[in-house]
Amino acid sequence: MKPETRRILFSLAVLVWSGVLLYFHASGRITKYLAPDFRPIAFAGGLGLAVLGLFNLLTARQSADCGHDHGDDGSSHDHETSDVHPLAALAVMVLPVALSVAWTKDEYSSAALSRKGLYDSPSNAAPFLASAMPPLTREEIEKSHRRTPDGFYEFSLMELFYATGDRELQSAIEGMKVETEGRWIEEKTRNPDGTRKRLYRLFITCCAADSRAIPIVLEFGKTPPAFPENSWVKVAGTMRFPLEDGVLQPLLVVEKALAAEPPFEESFLRN
Amino acid sequence: MTAPSARALLAAMSPDSQQDFALAFLSILFEGAPFILLGTLISGFIDIYLPAGTMDRFLPRNRNLAVFAAGLLGAVFPVCECAVVPVIRRLVHKGLPVSCALTYMLAAPIVNPITALSTWKAFQGQNAAMMTGSRLLLGYLIAVAVGLIVSRLPLASVLKPRLLETLAEPPANEGHRHQACRHDHGECGGHGHSHDHGGDGRLVAAFRSAMKDFIDVGVYFSIGVSITALFNTGIAPGARWLDGLAGNPAGAPVALMALAFVLSLCSTSDAFIAATLDKFSWGAKLAFLTFGPMMDVKLVFLYQTVMRKRFILLLALGLFLAIGGITVFWQQLVFQAK
Repeated sequence: MKPETRRILFSLAVLVWSGVLLYFHASGRITKYLAPDFRPIAFAGGLGLAVLGLFNLLTARQSADCGHDHGDDGSSHDHETSDVHPLAALAVMVLPVALSVAWTKDEYSSAALSRKGLYDSPSNAAPFLASAMPPLTREEIEKSHRRTPDGFYEFSLMELFYATGDRELQSAIEGMKVETEGRWIEEKTRNPDGTRKRLYRLFITCCAADSRAIPIVLEFGKTPPAFPENSWVKVAGTMRFPLEDGVLQPLLVVEKALAAEPPFEESFLRN
Repeated sequence: MTAPSARALLAAMSPDSQQDFALAFLSILFEGAPFILLGTLISGFIDIYLPAGTMDRFLPRNRNLAVFAAGLLGAVFPVCECAVVPVIRRLVHKGLPVSCALTYMLAAPIVNPITALSTWKAFQGQNAAMMTGSRLLLGYLIAVAVGLIVSRLPLASVLKPRLLETLAEPPANEGHRHQACRHDHGECGGHGHSHDHGGDGRLVAAFRSAMKDFIDVGVYFSIGVSITALFNTGIAPGARWLDGLAGNPAGAPVALMALAFVLSLCSTSDAFIAATLDKFSWGAKLAFLTFGPMMDVKLVFLYQTVMRKRFILLLALGLFLAIGGITVFWQQLVFQAK
């Protein structure tokens, strides 16, 4: 293959990666994929790739001297010859990206969420969330949470989930009237009467691939209302931590449930 | 993964699996691509602008001290593992002690600022300082140990015969100096006076070299991210088996070293994949991050341009046992104590 053709193919591969990075950033969809401190890095990376790809594309036909000759030992001291055939390289770099852009819905299916801890025992996740530890006395808890006009304290889902692994916090929150929001999904375990649902949010450390599901159980005592799977719901009720099959469950006995708008940052983020 | 098995996997993927794969794939790609770009830009400009003879000046004359210093050269001349093999081949040909060259080859992909930065960023919220420090320290110690051993071996048991023969003869024009330009041009064996001193030609060459490096790394990264996304979301056959090994103190580092060998990731971006292996211990991730940049499928092929096959096999076995053993111990001593 001619060096010019190889340069053009390589430039195209680089520009495709650049275009995808810049598109996801410009459209705001990057928030579903990366934690905030990685987003400007990804944007800079997209711009840098655009410069690299365009520069090489525009100078593809230009001859260039690296400033030294390459000796007579037949070594691999070559600045351009790649390990991989250029067409194969283009295919390997572009195909998975193109398929992923076509397939992505910016969220996980329930099967992947199960794998990411949606139905895991809450106590197992406690060390992972240690940095998010809230104040421990009832007074501090009431002071640090806003109260709604109808008397519910606004909690993040993570606090309710984490309380399961902290006996002191659990005692303080037990029986409190709380309001929280998250994504609505089926409860697959310990739900013989079909009166339960699950509410979850994702916790992202760096990117969506390392995210973990943070869930609580919703108990309605009757057939739950119908909301689309994974839609955002605001629920209010009384918080309980029953021991079920030897496992403590964060369980909200729901008094009201309403469809809600997704928050600006849909996932919990590190700090 | 072979082409037919990849096709079969694609055909078997449900819409849910496709959506899960896509989210995991793109998120890891977005996270790692800027760091690959940074690494390949630096490596491309070093390739064109930095004379190889520059590195000799950083090394002490004492054989052992030179090995210790060579393990730190990556901090000054950061090169990833793909780029480092052609560089050390050139350096050995130019007379750099083989023990120093191999130490630099093994250490530079890990003990360099780009890898340190990417590891630290990837492990934010997951004891980043400890993981980054452990990785740099272990990478350095392993590379120095290999260098010290190699310094006591006959060269014939390490180097390819053809490369060994070239060492017998002094390279032409080694380190000669021009009166007019007053700098050393020792970087290329047998080079004449065809070089120029900068301008557009070298800039274009540097960008081309950076793009070539980006493509070389990007191809392996793309394959590695695809496989990781399949395991991360439970789509890949064997994902449950791999998860089952995660809790095994000895099995987990072995499994992740084997995975690192197969994935052949670049050291500038492999931390982003290791950080997503949340079922595995830190010790196992440390094994992944130390073994991978020193020995993987693509490196086996690259190493054969410099070293004898028997030596590569022994090196792979030694690295596997040493890194596996140390990380199991490290997990007990440091990470579990946290």
